[in-house]
Amino acid sequence: MSESAEFPRPGASRRRFLAGTGALGGAAALAACGGATGGGGGGGGGGEELVGVGNGGQAGTGRAGDGADQLFIAGFQWSPPTNFNTFAGAPAWPASANVAQYIYETLLRFHIVTGELLPGLAASHEITGSESITLTLQEGITWHDGSEFTAEDVLYTFELGKIDPSLGVAAFWTEVDEMTADGSTISIAVNKERKNVGAVLNSLATQFIVPKAVFEKAAQETGNKIAGWETTEAMGTGPFTLELADQTQIILARHEEYWGKDFYGGLPAMTKIIHPIFKSNEDGNLKFQNGELDVMQQFVPQIWKMWESGKPVGTYLREKPYFSPGSMPMLLINTTKPGLDDPTVRRALAHAVDYASIAETAMSGYSSQVLASLIIPDGAEDQWLDRDKAAADGWTFDAAKAESLLQEAGYAKGADGFYAKDGQKLGPWKLITPQGWTDWNAALEVVAKNLQAIGVDASTNFPQQAQTQTAIQNGDFDMACWYVAGTGPSTPWQRFSDVMSNVEMAALGQTAYRNYGRWENGEVNDLLEAAAAASDDATKLEALTALDDIYRAEVPAFPLMYRPDEFFEFNASNWSNWPAEDNDYAPPMFRGAGNEWIFQLKKIGG
Amino acid sequence: MSTPNAPVADEKAVPRGNPFRSLNFSGRFWIALVLVVGVILLGLAGYVYPTGPGEKVASLYDPPGAGLPLGSDNFGHDVLAVLMAGTRTSLIIGLVAGIVATVIGVIVGLVAGYIGGWFEELLMGATNVVLAIPSIIVLILISISLPQSSVWSLAVVIGITSWPWTARAVRAQASSVATREHIDVARLSGARLPGILLRDVLPYILSYTVMAFVLQVAGAILAESALSMLGLGPSGANSLGIQLHWALAFQAVGGGAWWAFLPPTIVLTLVSFGFLLLQSSLDEVFNPRLRRGKRKQMKQAAARRAEEARLLAEQTARTVQGPAGAPRGKELA
Repeated sequence: MSESAEFPRPGASRRRFLAGTGALGGAAALAACGGATGGGGGGGGGGEELVGVGNGGQAGTGRAGDGADQLFIAGFQWSPPTNFNTFAGAPAWPASANVAQYIYETLLRFHIVTGELLPGLAASHEITGSESITLTLQEGITWHDGSEFTAEDVLYTFELGKIDPSLGVAAFWTEVDEMTADGSTISIAVNKERKNVGAVLNSLATQFIVPKAVFEKAAQETGNKIAGWETTEAMGTGPFTLELADQTQIILARHEEYWGKDFYGGLPAMTKIIHPIFKSNEDGNLKFQNGELDVMQQFVPQIWKMWESGKPVGTYLREKPYFSPGSMPMLLINTTKPGLDDPTVRRALAHAVDYASIAETAMSGYSSQVLASLIIPDGAEDQWLDRDKAAADGWTFDAAKAESLLQEAGYAKGADGFYAKDGQKLGPWKLITPQGWTDWNAALEVVAKNLQAIGVDASTNFPQQAQTQTAIQNGDFDMACWYVAGTGPSTPWQRFSDVMSNVEMAALGQTAYRNYGRWENGEVNDLLEAAAAASDDATKLEALTALDDIYRAEVPAFPLMYRPDEFFEFNASNWSNWPAEDNDYAPPMFRGAGNEWIFQLKKIGG
Repeated sequence: MSTPNAPVADEKAVPRGNPFRSLNFSGRFWIALVLVVGVILLGLAGYVYPTGPGEKVASLYDPPGAGLPLGSDNFGHDVLAVLMAGTRTSLIIGLVAGIVATVIGVIVGLVAGYIGGWFEELLMGATNVVLAIPSIIVLILISISLPQSSVWSLAVVIGITSWPWTARAVRAQASSVATREHIDVARLSGARLPGILLRDVLPYILSYTVMAFVLQVAGAILAESALSMLGLGPSGANSLGIQLHWALAFQAVGGGAWWAFLPPTIVLTLVSFGFLLLQSSLDEVFNPRLRRGKRKQMKQAAARRAEEARLLAEQTARTVQGPAGAPRGKELA
């Protein structure tokens, strides 16, 4: 192994680690400088034209030694890796559910730009109405130990949800009645009452398939308490095997006998994927800027400063907002509170918030203009979105309009500067979100200021995450910034369900799993069912549009900003051909169809 | 000393130099005063500064220039405006917490030191227990459990966690004062306990209390910044610690936005340094043994005393001999 890119073995001292990374940093910084001057003349630099490089057109000259063939990644693992059991509470990367298809793989792969479900371990899938799904497995798939991958493994993986009902995969069986295999064909009977094909497809696209032989043994050892099983090994079907995991890094080595050589057009470009473990965002961001990391998904404020200062850093979208929206943090409103139970007040609140300011400061400009809709624009969900309606019946930041709405609803400003009706003051309300979720903390600070400005008494409060989550689920909050389903195979339906569903309404003080604001409406359940069970796109569109209309009229919650599903940032110091809008062979993601770029990256140096 | 029974009127008659000279303000005192007053003025300047701390006037971390003397913070607010408001909040918290801590500490210390016995043991036992618990941990726990944290609640919380040092120091002083004779006189003349504590004990340790108060103010300002930096500060307010909290949260250090974190750091350093310097220079004023330039001053004082003694002697001679014996008195001198 070489000196420059080698990370320390277990037992190496901290000083040696620093020396090692320092040397690497120096080499990479030199490389980056070279690239910047080379590329400054215009375009890719070097002899041939490089594609998929930094947003400023810069590329590096590549690392020396073994580091040239290795991919450095970060942003997924923040503590020493202790457990690679994918069903555990907090497994290490990349065994943690649906983070990347490096060791374990899924049956189908979701593409966040097109919204398609691409083949994974399953070569094809066929949906029959809202009754069944049929999957055909790829041929010649093998586990890392060389044994054959069969439909039995798939069945057993989902069966684990029945063996240990505490596992996340157990949720699969609320949507599915039966799963059977015939050779390499798997048939899934969708629950006849729920008819929720989207939710089933979502499970198929996110559940890692695990080897039956290994997990059968684990189930025996632990007495069917799979979640509590601890292992430092991970055997999957993916293109990488787990080589080393210690306090400072996780190293994956290329599996030379990978089954997908033909399917993906070759083996991955890198011999190793190395995930150094950092203590904070800042450590990682600095290493990324210096080209010691090739790709990561950490939040970097003002990332444009990196390419403006000549670093070969790039994002999928070359212009602002740089990241395509993939989720929408919502301001949840507890509709059982007096004042907040009035839809006009909620609408006034939606008018009061300065979305542009939140996008510009709290999200560092990484969010486009928020629309008055539960459908995320510009990506996989765009086909369901009616922009004209969202603009016509929706809301925008307009403090005067917000106040006039309050006055229309019969509220009058009191001596203390806050609106009240019949002695019921609007506030004091607390806006909660977990401590340390800095962009959401900052967003709520802006919201609190905006609400105060229109005469609604609101202030921020940031408890710990667990406390916040309990408060939200139990309905013990006024308003909260919280997440709902991000873009996936089952959205936007899943998001409408998360925000509006009146199914199994939980009373205040009891744990709710959707509709945390306890908003009540008689029509929503039927529409949600109709949308889930719709056999063709036109019917589905009709139901979703009707839901979006109710949402805009009632405002049970409203989005504060858009966030990417994953921050996808790359540094073309050592690798080129990164996916970007001008080189869009793969989506800007790590999970799902984001495995495609690992086969297509091109080494810049020698 | 030579004439312990000399009438009071006589002692008053003794000419003294400039009365401020005995207060002996050193250069350090003036430097400290300038620092503290400067920081207070910075806080007050917020009232006349055109931009409010909550006004969004720029984007995320705009560098200084173009009407923004110190650039903008992560919310797009003017850093200078936020700094002024934050300084004010920090000073208010320091003052309130300092008063709360000093009042509790002085009451506990006075009562324990004066009354003594098992009551003293009890109070000081409790004080020592509180002292043994790191106050920052108690602070964090209380701040987390407060349903709503405001500037005032935070100040009170800081105050009620930082009194033990004052209590211990005051107790030591009070127990020594309690054995003095004038206390017996007061007791014999029928004064009640609160009256004795207030009129006969407290004045003797007042200088000490003032210094303890100044220290408490500086400590409270730092405690507030530490809490706010952890994100446990007052909500909806500006303070130096909150400014640092957001600067850290939005990676101002890594991003090179020095204008977001340096100004509050500098003000914080200046204000705590100023208060500490003020405390130690006041100590010199109140405690003659600590005075600087001691030799020179002692010479001056000795000369002064010699002069006083000479005058006194003349006076004595005059009283003894009467006006007629003046020539003899001259011989004596």
